[in-house]
Amino acid sequence: METPLTTPSHKIEALATLSPPSNSRTWQTAPHPSLPLVATACSDRTVRVYSLTSFTLLHSVAGGHKRSVRAVSWKPHTAGQSVLATGSFDASAGIWRREERGLEEDYTNRRVGGDEDDEEEDDADDYQFSCILDGHESEIKSLSWSPSGQYLATCSRDKSVWIWEELEDDNFETVAVLQEHDGDVKCVAWHPEEDLLASASYDDTVRLYREDADDWVQVSLISGHPQTVWWVQFEGSGMSKKDFRQAGSNGNEERSRHIDLLERSGPRLATCSDDCTVRVWRRIPKDTTGQGSLNAGIPSIIRSFSVDEAWIQEAILPKRHDRAVYSVSWSQRTGMIVSAGSDGKIVVYRERWKDQTNGITTTGEVDNPTTQDAEFSPTEWVVVAELFSAHDVFEINHVCWAKRSDKGRRSEDEEVIVSTGDDGEVRVWTVSEEGV
Amino acid sequence: MEDDKQNANPTILNPSDLPSRHREAVAKKREDGGTGLFDDLIPAYNYLNDPFEQSYSSSDSDDGSVEDIDEQEIYDLISSISDPEHPLSLGSLAVVNLPDIFIQPPQSPHSSISTVLVEITPTITHCSLATVIGLGVRVRLEQALPPRFRIDVRIKKGTHSTDEAVNKQLGDKERVAAALENGTLMGVIRKMLVTCE
Repeated sequence: METPLTTPSHKIEALATLSPPSNSRTWQTAPHPSLPLVATACSDRTVRVYSLTSFTLLHSVAGGHKRSVRAVSWKPHTAGQSVLATGSFDASAGIWRREERGLEEDYTNRRVGGDEDDEEEDDADDYQFSCILDGHESEIKSLSWSPSGQYLATCSRDKSVWIWEELEDDNFETVAVLQEHDGDVKCVAWHPEEDLLASASYDDTVRLYREDADDWVQVSLISGHPQTVWWVQFEGSGMSKKDFRQAGSNGNEERSRHIDLLERSGPRLATCSDDCTVRVWRRIPKDTTGQGSLNAGIPSIIRSFSVDEAWIQEAILPKRHDRAVYSVSWSQRTGMIVSAGSDGKIVVYRERWKDQTNGITTTGEVDNPTTQDAEFSPTEWVVVAELFSAHDVFEINHVCWAKRSDKGRRSEDEEVIVSTGDDGEVRVWTVSEEGV
Repeated sequence: MEDDKQNANPTILNPSDLPSRHREAVAKKREDGGTGLFDDLIPAYNYLNDPFEQSYSSSDSDDGSVEDIDEQEIYDLISSISDPEHPLSLGSLAVVNLPDIFIQPPQSPHSSISTVLVEITPTITHCSLATVIGLGVRVRLEQALPPRFRIDVRIKKGTHSTDEAVNKQLGDKERVAAALENGTLMGVIRKMLVTCE
């Protein structure tokens, strides 16, 4: 793999460690969709809810699970209420609710002086256990709400992926049990625009599913990683206006063809693996129903003859990890990717156009997407920042981007990296361009 | 002789033949190709620019410096583990062997993470207890070594019929974590480790 190595252009700096930390391993942290909060799944069977404004613990959600809580996911679009799904090694998923009265700022002030509130109020203030989703035979490894909030996907060591639909409050129906994988299913993730679900597994593959004539079916099989795929995440929506594409093609025909191709493919997929790599995958656009029908969301009158999709490997990111990569996250603001894993490093990558001077010949291959792969891509990924020992000597189990919300915020849309480690700590990092 | 044992007649080594610190005849295997003679002269890895350096070995050391842990020490930690089906140690059954222990120092001057690789040799090629033994070795080392060590336990190549599958399980952190929350399995492992102190 010939990857150009450049001097890192960005700096990762410690902003805060969420306090107090857990006494035992923490697995994963999910930023709240609208409030400045994160929820952290802990091996001590609890979930810890921290403020991203004060960096302190607001709630400890306990008493629901009999084993480690492995995964957490906030339901989107729940005005006036926060809804949290938790997945545990005890094979069950829990749903928790909390009424969100008052303003967001209330969060930081509430616990400062008002600890002596009468008990009734304290109870109402907590996350209330609302229902349990039973069905998996062994440990739940990951769960995720669809972007509309209609579906919840869960996956387990029992090799299955379940899709649940919330018909009304606390009434969940199993709409699909997908048993395509030959090993533990490590992670599930939804496409940001379509009801398309991805799952990553111990069987080294990634599989994609969608509904076809009332049945959820596998529509794509992605092989490439030679070892366990630990995490999978789709690119954000509308990234062409935010990432390297925002500058446009500059009149360069090859670039404008590539921008168009990405637009027709839709959001891409990032995966990471025990094989120490991070990879990006792209869908081959379907041209049968005319250009643009896939991502414009216009239903086609003529049903596509096949729901199958072909996804190809677009890039292997520069290899900077020397042990398993457990987590990868795509920034919705900049399109940058962050990864972390067993070696305790945090690495940030950015995509850019390849230098035109040592450019590549473009004749032919762009017209035939099936022969396209990383070799012909006019873009490349470069490492812009890396940080060793981000959690001392401990492994990092999860990393993600979140909106920065503390007083030191440098712009409305500034993002921070949130990392979750074996040391029980959740750490918050800023990323800034060197010399800016 | 109990018939339900998977290997009723294991080969047992004489305790005096097992490698120990006192027997200088035991050749130490070194991955770096060095003789070890000058190791003390080489300065410890330096942790410049590491904002967290003060706590990296808080759990195990007095002076905060990275102490040397060698293959013999690893061997001593795991050779006394009891076999799950025989009242014998993994050392005397030659399930763990000194030449099959490898320590890899940090891969970068910015890193303080060392790797310990232990290759175990199950007594028979189809021994389904291989996973349990491997798990016992991994648990023992995770408990005894400072957290800067990453522990890889594998079945020695060619000694077991399903070594790939067992290796994959033993290398999967999430599976290991879940296994350690399983009371029955932990009971077996605890029994194996009783002889370690």
